[in-house]
Amino acid sequence: MNVSKPDSALLLLGHGSTENPDSSQPCWDHAEAIEREGLFGSVHCAFWKEEPNLRQIWPMIEESEVYVVPNFISEGYFTRQVLPRELELQGHTTKRGELLVHYCDPVGIHPAMTGLLTKRALEIVDEGVRPEETSLIVVGHGTGLNKKSTEAIKVQVEAIRQSDVPFARVLDAYMEEAPFVADWRELTDTPNVVVVPFFIADGLHSYQDIPVLLGIESEPTAAASQREVFRQNPYRMDGRTLYYSSAIGTDPSLARVILDQVAYFDEHYRT
Amino acid sequence: MSLAETLSELLPPGTELAFGELALSRSASGVFRARHTQDRDAGALQPIETVRELRELAKNDAAGEYRPLKTAPGLVGGWTTETDCPREFLKRLDAIYPGVFAAACAHAEGRADAVALRATLDRQTGMYRFAGTISDEDARRVVSEVCAAGCLRHVVWPIGVDEAPSPPPRDPGSIPLICLEACTFAVNKARELAKEAFERSQAQAQA
Ligand code: SF4
Repeated sequence: MNVSKPDSALLLLGHGSTENPDSSQPCWDHAEAIEREGLFGSVHCAFWKEEPNLRQIWPMIEESEVYVVPNFISEGYFTRQVLPRELELQGHTTKRGELLVHYCDPVGIHPAMTGLLTKRALEIVDEGVRPEETSLIVVGHGTGLNKKSTEAIKVQVEAIRQSDVPFARVLDAYMEEAPFVADWRELTDTPNVVVVPFFIADGLHSYQDIPVLLGIESEPTAAASQREVFRQNPYRMDGRTLYYSSAIGTDPSLARVILDQVAYFDEHYRT
Repeated sequence: MSLAETLSELLPPGTELAFGELALSRSASGVFRARHTQDRDAGALQPIETVRELRELAKNDAAGEYRPLKTAPGLVGGWTTETDCPREFLKRLDAIYPGVFAAACAHAEGRADAVALRATLDRQTGMYRFAGTISDEDARRVVSEVCAAGCLRHVVWPIGVDEAPSPPPRDPGSIPLICLEACTFAVNKARELAKEAFERSQAQAQA
């Protein structure tokens, strides 16, 4: 879908972190990629825990309309409560003085995420590895804390099963609830297994916790070697070949899904 | 007038301005330049030409520690950035002090008001909700221990909703770093102090 809105700004919202300097990087990367295409008058990011903060963003926007896309993996407490409250938004479109603010759905719930997950999984396996001999596991955090993200993963898994990519199996698994990602050997029966974390950014979960649960690291690794875990693919274990991807939100193609979410807004919510 | 035009006007060719730890200047031919104030007159500096590299540079201090609060002192020096495009120059400044120039303009033009600390705290939900119970005395501690001690911004916001904000200093030689609303660090400190006070009162009640 082609979006061209030179008179509108695009604003990506991220969580950000006061401790992990990498957590906002994907958001900046996607913003930069979109900015390079010159589709919007300007492209901005704002964060809950970093700067520019959500509350500081309005004076930076000089266009008369802005599309706000939460760079979040699912609907939930943040996209439904915190972000609208901090930005003082009501419903899909809010008028702030001269500015029209369009609040789009979070990037992670767009149907295009299905294609992105599949693309990611096929990209990371070695050439010659057949999907028919490969299981794809989409991993989430699990537990009651964010039920919506568990739901979002289940939706994706079902959609990939229905798609024409013939993975032997497509499964959801979680760090803290069943089916546990730690049980990947029992959950799958194919020679190849691809694991893709359904997170918006890399952090302790994808650098340390999931690798330990998968058994590819024996203990949480030192900060300096965090990204190494993705470079050592494939992992050969117990006669199986395991491929471990970085968080889905770090895929450069997520920028496309952000644009898809803007187009979705115009088609479905714009009056 | 756009923000970039305002910046151009504030910094005509042949002039200088201070902006936090940045020394801004514009050559007679109109080229904008920013560098660390400590490098104002330095000769050989590393030229930086992209927003991305500047953002990277502002990420950590000289000791390699993450700087989540961009207006905390401790920006590293040793570099210079130059461009003749005002819009690009503003983007580069935003990489170091995100949104700070826009806030100063909006406030000066009456488009952005300060938000009282109590209004900010009362809006919180979840684990930060408790911060709203803070005493005035502890709220003043937030300002002295978080803002005055570790941030270059001038606090414009008052504590109570009925109190008057503190106008930014007027200095024609600088662009003020102003704070219109308590940040996540101040809110966090407010929560911490409110919690401590609550625990103290519980302990006293039990004694
Ligand atoms: S609240 Fe205090 S510490 Fe935070 S940005 Fe404002 S002045 Fe700085």
